[in-house]
Parts: sequence; structure tokens; C-alpha cells
Amino acid sequence: MIQKLFIQILFIGLGSFAFSQELYVSGLVKSEQNIGLPLVKVQVKGQNTGVMTDGSGFYRLKVSDSTTSVLIFFLIGYEKQEVTLNGRLNLDITLAELVNNQQEVVVGYGTSKSKELTGANTKINGENVEKMSVARVDQALQGQVAGVNIATNSGSPGGSSSIRIRGLSTFGDNDPLILVDGVVYDSEGLNALNPSDIKSINVLKDATAGIYGVRAANGVIIVETKKGNVNSKPQIEYNGYWGQQQTSRKLDLLTAQEYAVIKNEMFGLGGQAIPFNNTNLGVGTPWQDSVFQSAPIQSHNLSISGGTMNTRYSIALGYFTQDGIVGGSKSNFSRYNARMNLSTDMSAKLKMNSVLLYSNDSRSTLPENGIGSVLYNTINAFPNVPIRKPNGQFSYMEEVSDIINPIAQMQNQYNWNTANKLVGKEEFIYSFNDHLSFTNRLNYNVAFVDAKVFSPLVWYGDGKYANTALNDQLESPTVELAPGVEINRGAAVYEDRSTFVDLTYESFLNYEKTFAEKHKIKGTAGISIFQRKGSSLSGTGFGIPNNSVDYADISANTAQGGYLNNVGSWEFTERLVSSFLRAEYGYKEKYLFSAILRRDGSSKFGPNSRYGFFPTAAAGWVLSDEDFFKVKFINYAKLRVSYGVSGNDQIPNFAYRGLLNGEGVYVFDDLITQGVAIGRPSNPDLKWETTRQLNIGADFTFWKNLDFTTNYFIKNTFDLLFQPDVTAIIGSYGPGGYPPVINAGNVSNKGVELEFAYHIRKKKDFSTDLNFNVTTITNKVTKVPNGVDYIPGAGFSVGGDIATRFQEGYEIGYFFGYQTAGIFQTQEEIDAAGVVQEGAKPGDIIFVDQNGDGKISFSDDSDKTYLGSAIPDFTFGFNFNVRYKAFDISGMIYSAIGQEIIRNYERQQPYANQLGYMVDRWTGPGSTNENPRVTTEATRNNLFSSYYVEDGSFARLKNIQIGYSFPAPKLKKIKVESFRIYVSANNLITLTRYQGFDPDLGSSSALSSGVDYGFYPQAKTFMGGIQLKF
Amino acid sequence: MKRIQQTLLFTGLLVLSITQTGCDKFLTVDPPYTQDVENFFQTPEDYDRALTGAYDMLQASFLTLWLGEIASDNSIAGGESVNDSPGLHQIDAMNHGGVNNELRNVLRWNYTGVTRANYILENQDNIEFPGKAHILAEAKFLRAYYYFELVKYFGDVPLIVDRRIGIDEALQIPRSSKADVYAQIELDLIDAVAVLNPVASQKGRATKGAAQAFLGKVYLYQNKFTEAAATFDEVIASGSYSLIPNYNDLFTVANENNSETVFDVQYTGLEGGSYGCLICLEGNAAVGFQGIRQYNGPVYGDGNSYNLPTQELYDAFSSIDPRRNATILDIDAFIATQPNPASITYAVGAGGHTGYYNNKYIKRQGEIGLPDNDLTSPVNYRVMRYADVMLMAAEAHYQLGNTSTAQQLINQIRARAGVPGINVNSIDVIYKERRYELSGEGLRFFDLVRTGQAATYINGFVVGKHELFPIPQVEIDLAGGNWAQNPGY
Repeated sequence: MIQKLFIQILFIGLGSFAFSQELYVSGLVKSEQNIGLPLVKVQVKGQNTGVMTDGSGFYRLKVSDSTTSVLIFFLIGYEKQEVTLNGRLNLDITLAELVNNQQEVVVGYGTSKSKELTGANTKINGENVEKMSVARVDQALQGQVAGVNIATNSGSPGGSSSIRIRGLSTFGDNDPLILVDGVVYDSEGLNALNPSDIKSINVLKDATAGIYGVRAANGVIIVETKKGNVNSKPQIEYNGYWGQQQTSRKLDLLTAQEYAVIKNEMFGLGGQAIPFNNTNLGVGTPWQDSVFQSAPIQSHNLSISGGTMNTRYSIALGYFTQDGIVGGSKSNFSRYNARMNLSTDMSAKLKMNSVLLYSNDSRSTLPENGIGSVLYNTINAFPNVPIRKPNGQFSYMEEVSDIINPIAQMQNQYNWNTANKLVGKEEFIYSFNDHLSFTNRLNYNVAFVDAKVFSPLVWYGDGKYANTALNDQLESPTVELAPGVEINRGAAVYEDRSTFVDLTYESFLNYEKTFAEKHKIKGTAGISIFQRKGSSLSGTGFGIPNNSVDYADISANTAQGGYLNNVGSWEFTERLVSSFLRAEYGYKEKYLFSAILRRDGSSKFGPNSRYGFFPTAAAGWVLSDEDFFKVKFINYAKLRVSYGVSGNDQIPNFAYRGLLNGEGVYVFDDLITQGVAIGRPSNPDLKWETTRQLNIGADFTFWKNLDFTTNYFIKNTFDLLFQPDVTAIIGSYGPGGYPPVINAGNVSNKGVELEFAYHIRKKKDFSTDLNFNVTTITNKVTKVPNGVDYIPGAGFSVGGDIATRFQEGYEIGYFFGYQTAGIFQTQEEIDAAGVVQEGAKPGDIIFVDQNGDGKISFSDDSDKTYLGSAIPDFTFGFNFNVRYKAFDISGMIYSAIGQEIIRNYERQQPYANQLGYMVDRWTGPGSTNENPRVTTEATRNNLFSSYYVEDGSFARLKNIQIGYSFPAPKLKKIKVESFRIYVSANNLITLTRYQGFDPDLGSSSALSSGVDYGFYPQAKTFMGGIQLKF
Repeated sequence: MKRIQQTLLFTGLLVLSITQTGCDKFLTVDPPYTQDVENFFQTPEDYDRALTGAYDMLQASFLTLWLGEIASDNSIAGGESVNDSPGLHQIDAMNHGGVNNELRNVLRWNYTGVTRANYILENQDNIEFPGKAHILAEAKFLRAYYYFELVKYFGDVPLIVDRRIGIDEALQIPRSSKADVYAQIELDLIDAVAVLNPVASQKGRATKGAAQAFLGKVYLYQNKFTEAAATFDEVIASGSYSLIPNYNDLFTVANENNSETVFDVQYTGLEGGSYGCLICLEGNAAVGFQGIRQYNGPVYGDGNSYNLPTQELYDAFSSIDPRRNATILDIDAFIATQPNPASITYAVGAGGHTGYYNNKYIKRQGEIGLPDNDLTSPVNYRVMRYADVMLMAAEAHYQLGNTSTAQQLINQIRARAGVPGINVNSIDVIYKERRYELSGEGLRFFDLVRTGQAATYINGFVVGKHELFPIPQVEIDLAGGNWAQNPGY
């Protein structure tokens, strides 16, 4: 067959040679503004050769037939034109710029013009991502797309975000499916992706994402990396910036003097000895000033792109490094990237696309977000204690065993991980003709993740939980192996190597044809086979010499006989087999219909429920193309509706099976003896979550320059996959035991999205782009598992109450506790209250009797109530980009309104430092109605109540940038095409009433959203950068 | 050209159809290198390993070492502050309710123990092999142990025997009566007594004597004095046990598993641990928690000042009773006797301070495990000492009118302790002797409740309510909300 094809090509070639009549067509290609267009590809239809227009837009091309030959004119960003010669040998052409709704959008196994879309999509250009100057693309997406809420899980370099497309719809993995050039990327792995490599991002929000079936329920983010252009000279580009970061906020903490006064009062009222005889201690140690530091950030990107007639390429190198505002290099994130995109027309019919992304990213981390984190220790450290004692040793804070000196802690932390990642695809597209193509591709995503933790012998003072040494001489603890046989434990190092290999094979046919110039039919049919394998090997070595990080490798261990050293490993495989069909019909680009059917089989589920069908239907109506539509100021109007089903299979592997992976270890004959125990009980009927989503939307263009898109959606998720707390009697709470994964309820998200975009372009000296989006989402749990009233979520304080819940009729993870009503001022007030509040004294918080039984019940939940939720009522994003002559200014504001946060970073311990508001504590009748008295005696003031819930609404100027572009004519002389310099600032201003470090607080777990454990805040960054093109 | 197109199309369709038929096989992925719950128990070794898993939950008993004392008049909760482990402070103050993490752990961990024992017994008929009966007997002993813990704390509890339950059934299952639970415990222990060897094949395993002692205790808790006395007599008559000469040696690691040991929960310091998972520990968390706060000096290690003996307990002892100082550490008096006392420091926790520490289970130099060594103490929990068996036997006999037997047993106990004999002329003498001998060992609260003395000795104790602990409200909700809370809560 191939031979025959070859002969045919040869024959055509020879034929054209033999009968050559040396006919040439020439002409000028120009824009609508009558300016010659260079680098337009001009080609004779059906032939694989062509020419490009010169700098003034002229072309000259050899043709074989002056009547029937068809010329194709093609330039990116312009409408493609095909013209039959009809005897003309001089042919001038005007190419029209593509209007917005004619631009190409990647929709999954194909592309579409935005005018023909029936789903709710938002496309973001790469420039808007790059402009944000951030390490991770998810950070740049915040506020850019209506319906996509992004909250930062940690402000530390390399910290992830939680991406929520159209609300929280599940407990477990709410992350959307992320595809980079068609290759599956998990959101954790986004650290590897260089934001500068991105050409565009398309977010599929509604059921039309159902072409991705079982993984589409949380929406799909399609990232395309930069490609070269056909027929363009090699263009070399350099972008770089340098900056300094500092904390966006410090907390108002007590000074040493305030601290001493308050602690004396606290112990005195508790009937205990007063700790400070002298309270005249001044400001004391401002721990935050020493913990937070100014930290550098820089990024460099070098790329070369271009193309010839048949080949386009884009090759890039990138380097990014960012130190942390806490710990500097101890929380550094660095990344090296290399990318190659290559597309080539191997023949007139066969095209190859190759993408190769290599990255090496390393991250050092400090403990964060919880008890024992550096910031937790910083907030709670005693202000009366210096950082170092006069003898130079770090000071101890011995009164509280779980608060250690944060400066010493940072010094002793060694925690690194490195990921080497190779992501790519090889794609072959065979076009049978203009209508039918057959695509086969192999995608791969290979990641090698190395982690290392060095635990030196450390001493933080008597009785500290974090001590690994026996005393301040850093003597090693010994371990008795057998009577009389003792060995030193010494410093330890833990190493872990994990490998993940994803392979996807996809094969699909695309058909597209227009009949009678008005009936357009598109069809897609194909299969996808996915496999992920992961394996890991880890080990711990003891007795690292000299207690020094210089020897922090297992190979250096000196553990006698290797007795203490231990190893671990795991392995898994998961697979997915899918087939899909999509049919679209358009009548004159005016009436649009599409239908999708996908079938998935997933190895994550048992034989009882392994396969699922995911259908979707959608329709669109371009109202403005109707003859009767005569509204002058509306240039474009389209109505859309879609409804469909998609799934979520993001649960642990083998969750349907009961495995003996629990821990069953006991001591017989003084030796640790390994047994077996059930880990997670089985659930053979486990099935995937399904999301049914209705989307009604409209797109308008007003007065040519104002685009407006709105969507209303109802998204119902059924059979949520979750591992909720289960009853004790199941017996799954032993060591290594977990509750079973169950299908645990239903959730509904309803919302409205508005997107406005205003552009003024074609003025010579002035252009402006304004984008504004608003999202409001109502989240509600519609069903909990049978027989259960609610599923408990995150706890408050240490060993405290359960503060969040999953309960029918409320938001996922809403806050549940006592409502407060001020402070009891006098005993008479308590007696006259009419409600018995056991143990209350003047100065205590007044709780509200919710059930009206005349008594505050502390032994059950009958007086607890709804106290808020971490889900914002509204989110806003505002982007502006204004250019005047050589200057440009751009900015991005993000705001979330109506979210609450639980203040949970205060250690409720007598000696722990406290926030400045405690200065206004209750000290006697009439002193305050806000804050309770301080005392070491038992009170109910520390129960979870509305006192600990704060308004977390905020507005943040995420980025502002001012740039200057040097005039082109002058640059031309030194062979530079463009040169721009800019200064930029991230997180410059944040408006909020929240007292904690950062109100932009994400959580990877739906039920602990909005619980602030001492959050690592995002940095305020000042940067300067240059962009240079040759 | 046409043919190529057709061929390609055909190939495409072929690929489509193949993948759909070969799908099932491709999608059946077995977890590598792990055994499956449903096809385990193929070899004797499998039974043995599952049994080790069932023993593992014994280590949760450190909670009883705390709660049995803190709930009683013997000690206060202590600790860093009243907000640190509020569940313990509430129980101390007798104002505990349906929100209590410690009680939730008691329920969860003991039911895990029950489940692990049931898992073996559910599969008891899979294969036959020599020694199987002994494994099953150990499993029954363990199930009885866990149910006894549950019934002591909560009274009526769901009784699940020889099977595991699924999530749906768990929402339906009612609480069984205390009597039914006790009946099952007796049944299991009687079976265990019949099979278990008098001497354990490995230190730490259940023996015939241990099963008998627990059976006697279970009878005593139900005031079945005749059966209790007879059972304790068998233990005594077996001659397997004797009191060790020196009371002071009872609680050191060096003297573990001695002639007085009837059953110990075994702990080791060989594995490190952290607060994240107390049930994952192989060490005894109670010991470090009960250590001296921020202590820097000889003999002892530093700890978290929990479970502090009261002045009342200290004063209850005769000043000539050596068991006072063996049970209670008077920290200031101790420091004063040391060389260079000024160099010895410790701190007072805001959760309470009495000046006394539990000297039986306390962190000592030379008995320190791997980090975090507040959690990894190698000190075993002596859940059944021969002295306890003798005291319980004395009590049962006295109730049956055999005062001379009781008198003789009590005086053996007193002689070993080094105090003069006493005239056992009332049951109260025996109760008091139990307190002198066994304080600090997690028994006091349950003794006071079963003997009807709790209201007399415990401040705030409400008769008809505090005999049982409340079932955590969240557990009632998670079990389908059908259980009634214990009375009074």
C-alpha cells in the first residue's frame, strides 16, 4: 500500500515536471487596513509546496494550470482564503483578521470555532498567565475565569492551590482534569509546568467536558504550549525578571509587657502563682521580625521559534527560583525547564506533532499549617524570651512542651524533594481528504520523585516533643536491642524514590463536511487507553556521622549491624479504557447541535460497577444571524444550553477491596512482631461519582467592543466518593486502619457567572483591554448516607470539638458550634439570664440557647448551630491592560466576598503568646463585651463558637505592572525586534478584616476548608523584568 | 488511495472492537504483594499473624490506666492546661458529656480489637492444623478482654460475634444488654481456660491463668461471688504464681514478666512514635504523659504531668506503709533528698499540680524509648497482677462468709508490702487494702462503681448517671442515631 502511495506521489511529481509550462501567479496580500502582510503562506491546493510573501506582502508562485488551480492564503490570526485562479495570473488578496468568535478553541479530541461552541468555555491567553510572574500556573489563573475558584493551599514557594471549577462538588479530589497538550497532568504536578511555556488555557466548565467521561466531573483545563509559526524566521526571545519578596502581613501579637500583665492576671484568676514579678519588660522579642525575611525570586526564559513551509518548531529553556519569606533557602523552590514542540507535514496527508517537556524541580519545605509548624511556633512563642541566651545558645520556652524556638527549628530542618519529569506526546494525523482525518497518539508522563529528610540530633529544651537528643549536649538516645546490647540511634536520614509512569494511547477519527454550504456536520469517534504505574522504595538510615547534613545519605549510616535501619516500598497500577463519540450539526453556523457519548471502564472499581456511560447533549442558537434580529448595538448574540453526565473516579486504588494492609504489630518476647490486620474494609459496590450538569448561557457583543458572556448552571453530584468517619463498631480505627471508601451523599452547586471584556484595539497610540468577571455559587448538600445525620469534619483546637460538618441542607464543610451573645458582665446577669449555662462566671462568653430549653447543653449538639462556611458568596476578578504609546500598565484584582474563616492557630495554652486583641479582654463589669476574661481555670470559653469565626472576605491587588517598550525603528538598527522593560508587584495591597496571615486560604480537603492552622502567607513581591525579541 | 482509506478505517474499527472485548481482563488489576481480606487464612502462619494483629489493640489499654484513675478520687487530670485533653479534665470534674475524644478512642480501639479477634474466629473452619485450637482460644481471650473494657465503660454495647459487619448493617445494629455481653465474655473465657496452656509459649501471650483470672474478675463485676471465688481459687491452687518479695520492684522494666505477672500488656521502646497516631505506638503513652513536667535531674525523665495523685490519696496511706512512696512520688521531698537539690528543676503545669506523681507508671532514666520518648515507654501495663487476684479472691470469699480465707489472703498481701497484719472485720477493710495495693493502676474508678462506693468518694458523682460513661454523641449519630444515650447524659 505504502509503495503504491509512493508511486502515485512520484507519478504526480514526474507528471508536473514533464508537463511544466512555467506559469507564475503573483500579487499582493494585504490587511483590511491596506497594509502589506509579510510571511503569509501561499500554496496551491493539493500540493505540498508553497511560498511566503515578502516583507511588503508580495508573492510569486508557480502553478500548473491557470484556470482550475486553487490558491490557499494562510496567516495565523487571519481568515484562511481559498481562491480559484480562473485564468488570473495577477491576484491581490485582502485577508480579514479573525474576529473573536472565529478563533480556534481546543475542545478535546478536536478543535472548534468559538462561534460554533455549545458549551461553557473560557479561554485565557498565555500572556495573561506569564504577566502574573508566579511559579505555578494555577496561581496565575485565580480571578481570570468566572466559575473557577482558586484558593492557595500554602504561600510557600512551590505550594499548591485548590482549583474548584463550579464549586465544591465532592469531598475527595475536587481537582479538575488538567491536560497539557493532551497529556494528563495532576494538579500536584503543576510545579513542573513553566507558566512561560503556555500559549493558551481553555477551561471546559459544563457538561460538554463529558467527552472526557469519568474524569470530567470537576471540569477540564486544557493547556496548550507555545508552537512555532509556519514560514517564519527563527525568533529568539528572552524574558526575565528579578524580585524581592516579603510577607504580605504580620500579626498583631502581644508585646512582652502586655504578655506579662495578661499572664499574671490569667494565673492569678486561676488561683495559681503569678509568673512575672516584674512586668516592665518592654516590647520584648518580636519573633515575626526574625522569622520573616526578604527573599529573592527570579525567572529566566529563552526560546526560539519559527517554521518553514512544512515544519514549525518552538524550543525553550527556563529557569525559575524562589526563596521563601519564611526560612529563605530552607523553603526554596527551583525549576529548570526544557521544551520542544515540533510539527511537521511528513507528506501532504500525514502530519506529525511532537511535544517534549522536561522539567527538574526541587523544593525544600519547613513544617507548615498546623501544630509544630514554624509559623505556629512564631505566633505562640513567648515575647519575654530572647531568641538566643547570653551564652549564644538558642533559648528554650520550657513552659509549653509543644512550642519550640522557631529560629532554632528552621535551622534544624532539612527536607528536600526533587522531581524529574518528562512529559510528551507523539501524534500522527492522517488526512484522507479535507473532511476526514485519523489521529493516533501516544502520550507519556514519566516522573521520578526523590525526597530526603535529614533529622539531626536536636534539643529544644527539657520536655519538648521535638527533641531527638537526650540533652543539650546532643547525646544520642540508645536503643536496647537485647538485654545488655545497646546501640546509639544518632542522626537519621530518610530517603524515598518514587516513579510514576503514565502512558496513554488514543486513536480517533474526525470528520467535518459542509453540505450545500449550510449543513455542517462534524463527527469524532475514538478510543483512549490509559495506564498509570507507580512504585516507590524508601529507607531510613541511622547513625549519620557528626550529626551533620554533609553526610545526610543512607550510604553514610553507621548504625551498628544496620539493626535500626529500615525500608519500605509500594507499587500500584491503574487503568482506564474508554471509547467516545461526538456528533455535531450546524445549520449556517446559526443553529448548532451536538451530542457526546463516552463509555469508561476503570480499574479503580470492582466488577460490580466497573463501566459507565456518560452522555451529553448541547445546542446553540446564534440569534444575531437571524434576519429578524435588527438590534443595532448588538453585533453578536448567541444562546446556549447543555446537559450531560460526567464522572469522578479519583479515589485510592483498590478501594473496593479489603486489603490486609493495616498494622498488626505486638511485642512478644520483648521483640516487635509483625502480624496482619485489615486496613481499609472492602466495599464491593463502590461506584464512581456522577455529575449531572445543566448549563444555560448566552454570549453577546455590544458596540463591537464589549463582549459579555453569562452562564447559569445547576450541577448535581451524586454518590460522592469519600472516606468519612464511620461508626466505631465497624472496627476500622486500629493502626494502619482507615474507614472504607463509600458513596456518601449528594451535593448541588448552582451558580451564575458573568464575564465582561472590553477592548479598544485599532487606535494607533492607545489600546485597552478590560476584563471583569463575577461568580456566585450556592453550594448545598442534598443527601447524606442513609441512617446518618451528618458526617463530621475538621476538629477545633487540640483534642477539641468537631467544627465542620457535611450535612443535608448546608454547604459542604459548614461551621457548626455555639453562637455567642457577648460576655457575662456580672453574677447578677448570669443569674437573671433565664438560661442555665453550667460553670459560667462573669467574664465568660454567653452562649445562645438554640433549642430554647432554658439550658446550654454541653454534652450534645442541641445548642450548636450554623456559624458560617468557607465558600465565598461572590468572587470577582478584574483585569486591565492599557497601552499608551510606548507605555503600558496592567493589573489584576481578585476578591472573594462572604467567606468565613476559623481562627485555629492560637494554642489555647496558658503560656502561649496571644494576639493583640487580648489587650481588650474582659477585666471587670463594663470593660468589654467582646473578649472573655483570661484565667487558667477551666472555662467553656475555648469551646468552638462564633467567637473563633471571622469574616474572611478580601480584595487583593494580585499584580500590577508598568512597562515601557523601546521604539521599534531604533531597535531595528541593532537587529532587535522588540525590547520592553517593566516593573511589577504581586499582592501589593490586600483589603480584609481577617486577623490571620492570609485570607486567601485553601485546603486540599473539602471538610477542612476555611480552618486556619497558621497559614504560610503569600509573599508581597516587587519585581523588575525585561522582554527581548530578536 | 481509496483502498488505503478503507484499510485504515477498518483498522480503526478493529482497534475499537478489540479494546472493548479485551477490556475486562485489562481492567482487572490485582494489588501487588498484598493479601486480600477475603482469601486469607490459607496457612497456619496466616492465623498466627492475624492473631498478632488482634493482640495489637491491647496497647490501647493505656487509656484505662488514665481514665480508671482520673475519674476516681485517686488523681487529677493535670497536664499543660485545662484545655489540653479537655476530655480528661471533664471526666476529672465529673462534668463529662457526649463530646469526649478519650471516650471515643476507648470505643473505637476496643471495637477494632473485637473486629480483629472476630476476623480470626469467623474463619476458624478454613483449614485444620495442630495448634489451631490454641490460636482460637487466644482470640477468644482477646475478644473477651475487649468486650470487658467496653462493658465496663459503656454498659450495653452492640454484640458482634464471629463475623464482621458492613456499613449498612452497622446503621441498624442495636446495643445488646450488659447481661448478654457479660454472658458472651464468660463463654469466651471459659473456652479459653479449657484450651490455653498454663505457661505461654512466648512472653506476652495469654495463659490459662490469665483467662481464669479475668473470668473471676468478670464474675466479681457481676457480683457472682460463688463463681468468682471458685475461679480465683483455681488460679491460686495452680501454684503458677507468687508475690515477688519487694513491692518496690514491681513496676520496673527490669522486673517485668515475673512470678506475680498474670497478664501484662506488652510495650517496647524500640519503635519511635508521634502524637499523630497514639494507637500506632508500640510504647506505653501513659508513662511519659505521667512523667514530671520539664524535669531536669536524676532518676526520672521529663514528662507531661498527667494523672497526678491527690493529697487525699497520699493521706489515705499509713505513713509506715512502704506502698505509699512506691505508689506516689512526692516530688519536692524527693528532690530534697538528692545531692545538689538546687540544680534539679521541674515545672508546674497549669492543668493542675498536687506535688505528687504516679510513681508506678512514670518515666525513669534507663527506661526511655526512641523519640518521641514521651510516647514510647517500654514499661508494660500490669493489667492482672497476682496480688489483684488474691485481693479479688479475698473479696469474693468475704462476701460468701469465708472470712478466714479472706483474712489469710489480705495478710499475705500486707506481709509482702511490709506492714503488719490486719483484722478483716468488714468488707471495707478489703476495699481499703485494694486501694493501698492497687492505686495508680487504672482500677479505682471501676472498683468504686462496682462496689457502690463511687458517690461516697468521688466529688460530683451522680448515682444513676456516672456509673457509666456516655457514648460519644458522634458515635451514636454515626451508628444511625438509634441508640439511646446512657441515663443522665
